[in-house]
Amino acid sequence: MEGHIYGYNLPISEKTKVVPWEEKVRVVEEVKADFRYKEYIYGCLNCGVCTASCPSNRFFDYSPREIVQRFLEDDVEVLYDMMHEYIWACSQCFTCWIRCPFVNNPGGLVAIMREVAVRNAFEATKDLLKPYGRVLLKVMTTGNQLSADMLQPDFFPDWGPKMADNMENLRAKRLAIPFDVGKSVKTAWEVSLETAVEMYTIWRETGIFEMLEKLDPNLYNVIMDIVEENEERYQELTEED
Amino acid sequence: MAHGGGFGHNSPGGLLRYPEKEPFALKEYNSHYDHIFELMEELEHKGEILIHRITPEHKPVEVFTRTGRIKTIPTNKLWHHKSCGQCGNIPGYPAAIFWFMNKFGLDYLNEPHQTSCTAWNYHGSGTSNPVALAAVWLRNMHQAWKTGYYPLIHCGTSFGSYKETREQLIFNKELRDAVRPILKKLGRLTEDGRIVIPQEVVHYSEWVHAVRYQIAKLYESEGKSKGIDISSVRVAIHNACHTYKMIADDYPYDPEVFEGQRPAASTAVVQALGAQVVDYSTWFDCCGFGFRHILTEREFTRSFAIQRKLKVIYEEVKADLIVTHDTGCTTTFEKNQWIGKAHGMYYPVAVMSDVMFAALACGAHPFKIIQLYWNCSSYEPLLEKMGITNWRELKKEWEDAVNHIAQLEKAGKYDELMEFFKEYDLYEPYSKTASGKPKASATANIPLFKS
Ligand code: SF4
Ligand code: SF4
Repeated sequence: MEGHIYGYNLPISEKTKVVPWEEKVRVVEEVKADFRYKEYIYGCLNCGVCTASCPSNRFFDYSPREIVQRFLEDDVEVLYDMMHEYIWACSQCFTCWIRCPFVNNPGGLVAIMREVAVRNAFEATKDLLKPYGRVLLKVMTTGNQLSADMLQPDFFPDWGPKMADNMENLRAKRLAIPFDVGKSVKTAWEVSLETAVEMYTIWRETGIFEMLEKLDPNLYNVIMDIVEENEERYQELTEED
Repeated sequence: MAHGGGFGHNSPGGLLRYPEKEPFALKEYNSHYDHIFELMEELEHKGEILIHRITPEHKPVEVFTRTGRIKTIPTNKLWHHKSCGQCGNIPGYPAAIFWFMNKFGLDYLNEPHQTSCTAWNYHGSGTSNPVALAAVWLRNMHQAWKTGYYPLIHCGTSFGSYKETREQLIFNKELRDAVRPILKKLGRLTEDGRIVIPQEVVHYSEWVHAVRYQIAKLYESEGKSKGIDISSVRVAIHNACHTYKMIADDYPYDPEVFEGQRPAASTAVVQALGAQVVDYSTWFDCCGFGFRHILTEREFTRSFAIQRKLKVIYEEVKADLIVTHDTGCTTTFEKNQWIGKAHGMYYPVAVMSDVMFAALACGAHPFKIIQLYWNCSSYEPLLEKMGITNWRELKKEWEDAVNHIAQLEKAGKYDELMEFFKEYDLYEPYSKTASGKPKASATANIPLFKS
């Protein structure tokens, strides 16, 4: 039988098998080098409380207990394999964190693993995040993650017929809110240009644009066009002042 | 042990405080979290950080956390850290918050110099890192401090993420050292080079919790006089994972709410209003939102929402309403009901946040303020049960206003539109900005998003 004798019984993928051992070690060590790692994993009773209360476990072949156990056993092969698709099942609800008697944070471990997967631009990660591109575009360029115009009914037929009514006269509806909220349909609120430009500086200084370039070069180019245009506009405005 | 110095303990700077005796039965959680308040005092003493303190002008109210710590909730002079999911997709959510603040005559600031926390993106896609998350948080906190207003966080995920980021910053010098040069570049340190950190990270649901008796009074004086009666409304509470499971030791618990054994906010305000809180077996489960799942693993989100929550709430306790206190859960529950019809699993129940329900009870307009037209759940039976039986007329009133605005805009009649808005009852104080100077928008030149 492939996989671990108990627990992680998914077969190790062929793609993982052909990756040189040193490379797998490097990736797993990158996770363990994160400063949060030591705060997210202490001991493990193997009690399964985390998995029993995990929402993703109910519908996916996924178990936070497995993740914690594999780290404690330093099971490089399985951890490397998990970092391709397995970890993306997690709902990031942190039920495991509040319930674990050791105060382990399996959801937090997943966050580190995902971040490392994105940084290393794994093919599976690229594919998984493709449909998520519109959120990335929004957050990288405007400083807002969501806006009213993103809920187009065509994308959400399962949300029912009311969705189409919602989008009708959207702008007028937002203007009719008697408070200054939700007025912009392209962003959640009007984000001042100087604020968006500060955000771009943060992305640049913290390596997020680089991450994005490796993940999706086309999306990166679209984003950088908007970023540079806004930065120029801001520059001009400051010079006018 | 769970509580730094034990009951009756006060830190030298007064940031960490416990009552003389346990407010309710406490479990031994082995928490180290509360210690951050003492470390914050030390870091301030060393000149590394500046603590944005809650003062009497913020009209503070004290609550207890899960460890019995006294948490100070500011109720006045607040800087609204808005939620992108709420403003974008549940506009009645922030409108209800502002509506109450105006009713209570509170001072607040709602300005465009705020970004999203970007944590939804992080939890969904992993495309960020702790330094970026910390820089975004501290940038927003610095802006609030600069204006003299205290930050109130509308979104549960922002709140959870900010609590965690603060813990990481206080415990890890390497993170402070990584983020400081970025803040310097942004001009987001104090003049003497310190990082600004708020005394408490405060969620709007904690604010609602702190002012719940004022809300109940308003219901008595204004809601009931309009014929509203919520005493027979059965309410199932859904607490949001990111408010009470992330940094679990920093959220209110109260002896009057399940004897201090469950999160208190939302339940307490519903109790104070006199509606019936009904308990159900899966109260601890999440909603199924999953961050990327609601967009890209949609069958998971709806299966979980329907099978683990909606079905249980409908069958076990026959609730009229699910009360939430976060963005993603509200959307997940109200949007994922209709599809259940395809599988014979239609469990209609109204869904809205604590503040929206409380505002409705106090007489707020269901469409103009609470914006229920946007809500895909079956909320009409709830309105009837609450005694808001004229909801059809109120809906028409709203639709007429929208159509009028749309027609004037389409015809390019901007002067008439401006005249109309002069008469339209806009609420004061109407968005002040920190600088008082109008700023160009980052989005003005971006074409409407299409994909
Ligand atoms: S955070 Fe992830 S692993 Fe933990 S309980 Fe939630 S879905 Fe499961
Ligand atoms: S709940 Fe904690 S101790 Fe139990 S299996 Fe999960 S990680 Fe291990």
